[in-house]
Amino acid sequence: MKQLQSSLIASALLLTIVSDAHAKLEVVATLADFGALATQIGADNVDVTVLGKPTEDEHFVDARPSFVVKLRNADVLIEGGAELEAGWLPPLLQNARNDKIAIGAPGRVVACQGIRLLNVPENVTRAAGDVHALGNPHYMIDPIIAKAVAQHIAQTLATLDPADAAAYQTNYANFATTIDARLQQWGATLAPFKGANVVAYHDSWPYLAHRFGLTIDTFLEPKPGIPPSPSHLAEVIEKMKAQNSRAIILEPFHNRKIAEKVAAATGARIVDAAQYPGALPNTDDYVALIDALVARLAAALGGQ
Amino acid sequence: MWEVMFWPCVACVLLPWLLVYLGIHVVRRGIIFIDIAMAQMASLGICTAVLLHMDLEGTGTFALALGFTLVGAAIFSFTGKRTSQVPQEAVIGIAYVVATAASVLLLSRAAEGDEEIKNMLVGNILLVSPAEVWHCFGLFAAVGLVHALLRKQFMLVSFDREVAYRQGLRVRWWDFLFYASFGLVVTSFVQIAGVLLVFTYLIVPAVCGIGLADTLGKRLLVGWGCSLAGGIAGLYLSFRYDLPSGAAIVCTFGGLLILLSGAARIRRAVDG
Repeated sequence: MKQLQSSLIASALLLTIVSDAHAKLEVVATLADFGALATQIGADNVDVTVLGKPTEDEHFVDARPSFVVKLRNADVLIEGGAELEAGWLPPLLQNARNDKIAIGAPGRVVACQGIRLLNVPENVTRAAGDVHALGNPHYMIDPIIAKAVAQHIAQTLATLDPADAAAYQTNYANFATTIDARLQQWGATLAPFKGANVVAYHDSWPYLAHRFGLTIDTFLEPKPGIPPSPSHLAEVIEKMKAQNSRAIILEPFHNRKIAEKVAAATGARIVDAAQYPGALPNTDDYVALIDALVARLAAALGGQ
Repeated sequence: MWEVMFWPCVACVLLPWLLVYLGIHVVRRGIIFIDIAMAQMASLGICTAVLLHMDLEGTGTFALALGFTLVGAAIFSFTGKRTSQVPQEAVIGIAYVVATAASVLLLSRAAEGDEEIKNMLVGNILLVSPAEVWHCFGLFAAVGLVHALLRKQFMLVSFDREVAYRQGLRVRWWDFLFYASFGLVVTSFVQIAGVLLVFTYLIVPAVCGIGLADTLGKRLLVGWGCSLAGGIAGLYLSFRYDLPSGAAIVCTFGGLLILLSGAARIRRAVDG
């Protein structure tokens, strides 16, 4: 009897060990771009949950009970940082109370770490008037930065799950190779429009502008989150006419009517764009999203 | 489930009683939208603080929000005349739209956008912290005590205004005290639970209580029963189907009200 008991215990132990070895890492990504990279790098070794919907304004994500549960059980949390999720993530984390993803823990990926952010205000008092004192947090749209973030994710996954480290490294290498190859094509597609002036609703695109040599410094909203005033719109329209701006970038959650009004006044085209994989049709992974963005921009700027 | 829903449940048990009581006053006075107008006055105060580059978590901001709420209280008590062609609800509506529009104007001149302000003003019941619940409970207990001590005057002014005038009560001052305490309660509850939930907790249980019972005591009991049942059921549904908690509670209350009015109708039909 005793023997049976101990062999039962032994097999139970063995089972736990075996199932542990195969337990997938629970990865929570705040937004769909980080989620897409985590899926690409982690593949079958991770379960990825994305909190914000791809079509949702990343500054305001509606909390649901499952978010707290997921964060409580997470092994890894990937966030953008630089105040991108400052409005909604901290209270969720406070309620989840999970040491594995606490600040500084190996499971916490703050993706902006090591990234040189654009538009860091020189004066960081409130009077300086920038919501994002650490710089513009919409950096994932730059493929080269996305590559660095993918590497950061691969390193974290490898540290937490050394058994599958080789797979993570291979998946990262494949992603990096794809990005390098595609960068050439994307650059070539947008090359004819170098220096072109593009207007956006919100200041989400400085990294796209920087990477592909566009100028995106005119915005329909006078300040982040503030509806345009008539005089501001008149200014924008005048500026667009003077600079011959041909495209207005609009995200799914912004006011389309305002963009249409400006487009009608200037003859510019509206480019339905998104920062998050899955928000536009057939853009489930990161590369497909940049493909779609580049194609849509080129079509609008080329007047097709 | 408990790990996640414990503090929201505590908040839904410990806090709404005062809202239900104030709700009965508000419904009887016929000033349903006073809470939203008051919350908007407080937010105008916070927008002013933003414009002055004050620390949003600091006491200065709180003082401004409170100050604007008191201004609201003064407006509503000053405009509440003994007899008037213009219903109080009209003044409340005007105060609401003007305060809302004024905050848009202020923010358009402020250095930063309104992201932070939105987050400050509108809480989420799912994410309440224990400290918030206890602070709010302490405040509610204090306001509740004031209302319990002065209940005779408050009742008279809300439910029997003519008698109050005839007895020589300084109705305007009692109104001011009522609105001021009300503004304090609403503003602090909005910060932890959001505007929708404040409105629901004020109005739905009070309507149930007034519809189903005839004395204040019974109405309060019915109202408190409703607020507990609706709150807990709403939180359960929110967890079970993974819905935004505040909105789930509000819709549960809507369903509860339909059920109760159906039941009351059937009972009347059977009795009659």
